[in-house]
Amino acid sequence: MSIRVRDLGVAMLIAYVAMTSPGRAETISYADAVTKFAADCGKDVKKLCAGLNLGSGRIMDCLQQNAAKVSPTCKSTTADVVTSIKEREAAQSAYFKVCRHDIAQRCRGIKGDGYQLSCLLKTTRMVGDKCNQAITDAGWR
Amino acid sequence: MPNRIGIALFTCAMLLPFCASAQEINQQRLTNSLGKVAKAAPAIDVELLRQEAAANPEGSVAGLPNWSKLTHVSQIVVEIDFANNSVAIEPQSYRTVGLIADALHHPNLLNYKFLVVGHSSSTGDAKHNLELSQQRADAIREALATTFAISPDRLFAVGVGQEYPIEGKDPTSADNRRVQLFNLGTFRPLKKG
Repeated sequence: MSIRVRDLGVAMLIAYVAMTSPGRAETISYADAVTKFAADCGKDVKKLCAGLNLGSGRIMDCLQQNAAKVSPTCKSTTADVVTSIKEREAAQSAYFKVCRHDIAQRCRGIKGDGYQLSCLLKTTRMVGDKCNQAITDAGWR
Repeated sequence: MPNRIGIALFTCAMLLPFCASAQEINQQRLTNSLGKVAKAAPAIDVELLRQEAAANPEGSVAGLPNWSKLTHVSQIVVEIDFANNSVAIEPQSYRTVGLIADALHHPNLLNYKFLVVGHSSSTGDAKHNLELSQQRADAIREALATTFAISPDRLFAVGVGQEYPIEGKDPTSADNRRVQLFNLGTFRPLKKG
């Protein structure tokens, strides 16, 4: 009986800490995303898509067309990377909406996106949870 | 012979021991180096840059009137590998393009437009190298605008072809894959607080 209570206590403590500290980012940087793609798909890209350039979906299309020859790791990484990039873009767009109120409240009169972000970073404890998480998810903490 | 882009920048010439550290690029360095903008930044006409480079494919652009203006703006040198005889960025350099994207998306740089300057080695025909360096700069611009969703209105690309800021530097060395980025100033009016 006492073991169960202790486990429950530990679980609650972990949950409490997780809820009250600023969460880790839900998205990864563009650099990290494309690095993973290069690591897992680099060989396939050079072999099957030689001469094709990054951008405008060319490499993606090429890998899809040659799906039978592409390694399984590359296939799953490609899907992950496309998602990662989209998620980061969405998170960065969301920051402006989510933090607009906090900027107006905490950073009144400050102009310029960079200065406004800087202001929010300096007043983290007074900024709302949602905005703080938005900053983290956008990769700007 | 590997067809590489880029040559050491004049700052690299002055800080030769630090040239190697140009390899280790990270988002913070990019954002900081590109973010220092003087209030009276010179207006740069990219088309004039292109014309000046085209009129002088074999020589250095350093002394030319519009190119000289670039010495006064925030800038950085990065290294990007291109596949032999092509304008395809090598997979091992995708990370660098991603880092540029991270920097250009950052609120500190969001309101600025940027110029990508491509270089080429000095081997082969000067006019061909000029064209190649332009195409490579265009390729980087396209990757940033499509894969990484940077607004294309913020991005400009021009090639300088062969250029020797450093006397006697080996043109086929691995150093010849430098790409320069310049902050061209405000893209749109600052949002009101």
